[in-house]
Amino acid sequence: MAKQATMPSDFGPRVVMALSGLVFVLLMVFGLLMRATQAGMLPIDPTLFYQLMTAHGIGMVGTCGFAGAGIMWYFARQYVPVTNGIFWGFTGLFLIGVVLILAAIFLMGFAAAWTFLYPLPAQSGGVWDVNATVVYLVGLLLVGVAFLILYLDMGWAILKSQGGLGQALAWPTLFSGSTDAPPATIVATTVVTIVNTIALVPGAAIILISIVNALVPTFGIDALLAKNMIFFFGHVFINAAIYMSIIAVYEIVPRYTGRPWKTTRWFALAWNATIILVMFVYTHHLFQDIAMPAWTLIMGQVLSYLSGLPILVVTTIGLLANLYGSKVKWDLPLALLTLGVFGWAAGVIPAVIDGIISVNKIMHNTMWVPGHFHFYLLLGLVPMAFGFMLWVTKTRQADALGGLSKILFWAYTAGGLGVVWSFLVGGSVSVPRRWAEHLPQWQGVDAFGTVFAVLVVVAALFFLIRYVVGFGGQPTSSEPAE
Amino acid sequence: MHAIVLWVSAILVLIIAAIFLAVARSSSTSASAQSVGKTANMIRHLSFWGALVFGALLLYATLRPWPHALPPGDDAITVTVTGSQWSFEVDTESVPTGKPIVFALTSNDVNHGVGLYDENYKLLNQAQSMPGYTNRFQYTFDKPGTYKLLCLEYCGLGHHEMASELTVTSSTASAELGRK
Repeated sequence: MAKQATMPSDFGPRVVMALSGLVFVLLMVFGLLMRATQAGMLPIDPTLFYQLMTAHGIGMVGTCGFAGAGIMWYFARQYVPVTNGIFWGFTGLFLIGVVLILAAIFLMGFAAAWTFLYPLPAQSGGVWDVNATVVYLVGLLLVGVAFLILYLDMGWAILKSQGGLGQALAWPTLFSGSTDAPPATIVATTVVTIVNTIALVPGAAIILISIVNALVPTFGIDALLAKNMIFFFGHVFINAAIYMSIIAVYEIVPRYTGRPWKTTRWFALAWNATIILVMFVYTHHLFQDIAMPAWTLIMGQVLSYLSGLPILVVTTIGLLANLYGSKVKWDLPLALLTLGVFGWAAGVIPAVIDGIISVNKIMHNTMWVPGHFHFYLLLGLVPMAFGFMLWVTKTRQADALGGLSKILFWAYTAGGLGVVWSFLVGGSVSVPRRWAEHLPQWQGVDAFGTVFAVLVVVAALFFLIRYVVGFGGQPTSSEPAE
Repeated sequence: MHAIVLWVSAILVLIIAAIFLAVARSSSTSASAQSVGKTANMIRHLSFWGALVFGALLLYATLRPWPHALPPGDDAITVTVTGSQWSFEVDTESVPTGKPIVFALTSNDVNHGVGLYDENYKLLNQAQSMPGYTNRFQYTFDKPGTYKLLCLEYCGLGHHEMASELTVTSSTASAELGRK
């Protein structure tokens, strides 16, 4: 597909990535403080601990989506006529939402975790008041509206330029083997636009219901229905954040290796299957809600296994095939992008294992859960985001993967693995998740995780500084490999 | 099972890491994109179909018997656990070994989770306790002792303090007590 004649400026996504990098580092520090508290190394009281936990959770999920949107928009604007003003509107609305969320947490004491599980926001046990709940939820709603506006513009641009949804999803390639397929970026962007637009609707609905419930406690809904709505929205949103970030791999790696990442029939099949799989898999979060109909839980186990498969197979094998024997010259961005795909692929292992109902009975809501999602966020999405940031500013970065870059790349990798395994080992010895205070016998693993978290923070800070210093730089090649 | 889950995960992750490292090392050599593409396509087919077959077997092996099955008949003893911020109300103080115990969980306010832990803080089973519903799981104790019920769903600032105990006596001792 031909590149657009007039592309919107890339200044917006560059700013979004700078803010995302800054927030990633800040929230990593929050994570470090929480692990140190659980290890008994810091005297943070439970009130502040749960505020930090709420901010860390909602902040990381939101920022993963924010960074993913920056990456997606940066590349999508090359092919479809997205609107620059809408991107700035999205950024502004997102930031207003963030300010409200932070105010609700740190000024008003809201601490219902990022999942705001109904009816906890309105029933705090006398800890935070209704104003805190409303401010938090309105902030969250603004963030949701920001994403919705972005996706509507994206969807409109895709429909206008691709000649229909089927074409954008590469259906001619999928069903009749046509070689005239849209770029991988467009297929991925279309899938994300569809699933996240759908997910944001029940997400916004449960936020509104929770606001009304906080203001008028006699108004309420079924707690299990609310849980379904929250996990449907949350699961799709965080997965879509990863899918948006993967676009960086599809676009950047071929520019290093000279081997294009084509939309093949397998690729089209994988991404189209994901539309269905990612939306119905969320019931694996409800395995211990035994009141759920049994078929929904079986569906959760089946899809939990299947949902990771398609994109993972095409992306992981696609990346390895792209790199193999390519005589590529490694640098920090490429190393981080490759680490990101490794973290995503490997993180699926503990996730799928926990997606087996009989295993879930002894692992659910233990430290195993943060173990698996930190695997594909801390070692998956976040390195992809930093890889993209350092590639975008490449002309102001050191060339080869040597010296300090190499040391800090491996420090981040080792630190991330240490943090993740401290969670997984904690889960295997049944340590509950989201506990502000840990028993002495659990604190050895916590201390191990704390030390490795320091490595992660230091390395991430280095990546951020490199990006900020090189902010005006350009990619060495802005053209996709043909 | 706890240790097996950890070891299986560790081994599979190590295999994936080894593949990535091997490919990264190979990237300094030269291979034709066409031949690599063919091999990749073969691996893609094999891994996709292999994973599907393995998944079907895994599904069959892990869903039979149904993990949430309750004991048949009326031989089981029911223990009702009601969660409230931030304590559990348990209607039974002690239960015997060897008999299936059904834990019936509900909540007076927000979502809680009930994790059944042994004396060494090993998680044996769990389910959610939520307002408006009763979730049931079963467990048959084979050792007497003081077991713990810990909250496993974040429910506010007292979440980590939400715990209760359940005494399990040997079935022989319970029977003797009954005869007296």
